Amino acid sequence: MATTCLVLVLTLVMASVAAGAESDIESLRAELDALRAEYEARLSELEGRLDAAEQKVAAAQATAPTTTTEPDTAAITAVAAATTSSSSDTVTSGNAFNPQISLILDGNYYHDGLGGSGSSLIGEAFQPSQPAHEHEGHEHSALANGFNLREAELAFSATVDPYFDAGAYFAFTGDDVEIEEAWFQTRALPHGLKLKGGRFFSDFGYINRQHPHQWDFVDQNLPYLNLLGDHGLQDNGLQLTWLPELPVYTLVGAELLQGDQERFGSFVVDDEHRDELGLSDRKDGPRLISTFIKLGPDLGYDHAMQIGASYAHNRQHQEEALAAEGDANLWGLDFIYKYDNPAPWGQRDLTLQAEYLWTRKDLLVRSGDDAGADVDLTTDGYYLQGVYGLAPRWQMGLRYDVLGATNQIRGATRLDFDQSDRWTVVLTWVPSEFSLFRFQYASSDILVEPGEREQFDAFWLQFLLSLGTHGQHRF
Amino acid sequence: MSSRIRSLSGNPGRRYQLLFLLALLLVPVAAMSAQTSQQLEVVASSSSTGALVRELGGEQVRLSILAPPDRDLHQLQARPGMMRALRRADLVTSLGADLEIGWLPVAIRQSANPAILPGRPGYFEAAAHVTLQDAHGIADRALGDVHPLGNPHINMDPERMATVATALAARLAQLDPANGKLYAERARDFSARVAARMKTWREGVDPELTAVLYHRDAKYLLDLLDVPLLGLLEPVPGVPPSGTHIRALNERLEGQHGIILYTPYQPDNPPRALARASGWRTVKLPLEPPLDADGDAYLAHMDRWVDALSGPEE
Repeated sequence: MATTCLVLVLTLVMASVAAGAESDIESLRAELDALRAEYEARLSELEGRLDAAEQKVAAAQATAPTTTTEPDTAAITAVAAATTSSSSDTVTSGNAFNPQISLILDGNYYHDGLGGSGSSLIGEAFQPSQPAHEHEGHEHSALANGFNLREAELAFSATVDPYFDAGAYFAFTGDDVEIEEAWFQTRALPHGLKLKGGRFFSDFGYINRQHPHQWDFVDQNLPYLNLLGDHGLQDNGLQLTWLPELPVYTLVGAELLQGDQERFGSFVVDDEHRDELGLSDRKDGPRLISTFIKLGPDLGYDHAMQIGASYAHNRQHQEEALAAEGDANLWGLDFIYKYDNPAPWGQRDLTLQAEYLWTRKDLLVRSGDDAGADVDLTTDGYYLQGVYGLAPRWQMGLRYDVLGATNQIRGATRLDFDQSDRWTVVLTWVPSEFSLFRFQYASSDILVEPGEREQFDAFWLQFLLSLGTHGQHRF
Repeated sequence: MSSRIRSLSGNPGRRYQLLFLLALLLVPVAAMSAQTSQQLEVVASSSSTGALVRELGGEQVRLSILAPPDRDLHQLQARPGMMRALRRADLVTSLGADLEIGWLPVAIRQSANPAILPGRPGYFEAAAHVTLQDAHGIADRALGDVHPLGNPHINMDPERMATVATALAARLAQLDPANGKLYAERARDFSARVAARMKTWREGVDPELTAVLYHRDAKYLLDLLDVPLLGLLEPVPGVPPSGTHIRALNERLEGQHGIILYTPYQPDNPPRALARASGWRTVKLPLEPPLDADGDAYLAHMDRWVDALSGPEE
């Protein structure tokens, strides 16, 4: 606009100059040159002011994104109209709905050769440490032969204020609602620090923090299912993570958790029975600490990798059958590699994932014949899995998981047990970002009791539908 | 024996010490790498805003790009390497309007860098600085993975990118006032080059030409050059075409002369099937300029698209 005005003025001036044709051409030319120089100077000055105005606008928007621009100069508003279409600096709908809501429907048709009991059996593979059956809540793994609605997960997440993000995840099963997660996390701490508090899935290992609908297979692997239970390491507490500025992605974290665990820190709830066994009362929380480190070397755009090591310690663990108590330790190593092919819809993408978990419970027998003796219960487990994009929207996965490669009692008695293992294949069809169907077959060989094995086949047909907010593509 | 076990159960304490020592070791390394240089650290979600950053920032910025040009920006995952780059960024630039919704917000949140959170000066979304086509449409997912905020593929519109460059220059100036004038000058220079190029582009385009796209991604360019868009291979965004859809599309193309445009990450078969049926030619071109592109390389990249639209003569 300013430029056109100036051009207009210039032509007018030139016209009037031309009208006075009496004067000498040379002096006219000199005058014109002078004029041009003057206007050029003015133009550049105006442009400079325009820039300043633009910067002012940007600054005003940054500091007060909701207030309209100050009407101190016409230039500012003009520039604002020219450069921005909205009053805000973001148009990503992440901020459009508060909170963001999503609902995930997770159902299946299931059949196994044991009349449906196979689905809970894979979570009860024999290990010397036996859960105290404290938790009566819903079990992800318990399915009937036939149709099942595993869960409907309702998730809310939002930025609360400039300081906190928060999220809440509810799992609805047939007759039960459970708070899977309800946490807040800081946004603005300096030096790469983040503090999280509330109820959350621990960042121990890799798969632990994933919700069931984020798994690459219908069900959880044997080591997590048996060593940590249906929900994995899920607890109330605090988490501090630190992402230092390093040339290699490095995340260090520590968690302080209440320690109410089904498997890793179990507790005999019944008072009388506990007294009979000579076991102590519940210690004050927090009883569980966990630490982890994750490294993600940069391998370019096609490849990505993360390796992690984790350790957790629960200072109170009771074994009802042994009348023993002590503490529990858990070590974990995780490895994940992803190949991302540019081909559409996951074709030729490859994911390799492996974790190793090792737990030992160091216990003291409180009553009975062995009273006063030490017992160590050690069980480990691992899984290896790979998922490959066969075609656009079609993935094939293979998993081998083992519980109890080391499966032993040491101390007062010395006993060794066999391992349980399983092979699983899965075929996944992803029609769109918001729906997914799976066919899965597993052949399990589970140690039910020492010397007693159960071998069975199981089939799943799963559907997963995502309603609402666009999912997050987390690594 | 019990003492042996006691000592074992005492181990965790020592393990914490070890972890603590490890953490202590990391501190000086972190401090070393935290020493900021004079350059602005800019992370671009893709090479198109990256090209603008390189053009305007020149020597004054250090740029890293999160997604290579051959990837679908809808589909990426927030990888550890992205978090590492974002962790020390002074500015993150994206195309925005939900294009990178699946991964960029997660990566930003996980990078623990408050300076680049949405709403802060360190967060720059190109789409916020231009008007978008198809905004405020029906947010119905029966219509696929729709963007109710509007078509986010503004990198295919050099004029809008020139507007974005002006806004980006102001943002760079806000973060680095000492070089503010320089950024503004470079933005003006880039806009002038776009304007100059527009003339030759408009003249080059075959006036009879019509086009079919796979996805609505090159719509801005077609509109800019007045090339009518006759249809999309995708029935709705994010859903692959069926045979019936391609046949129906082909019927609509009868008697027209045109071109089928698609990008490297979109499947080859549907465009080829339509090409066989209609006799139209197909052209496969990336939406994003090369990783090392600056302003000129971005314009050269747009040249390739315009060449495709300027008729079959070699």
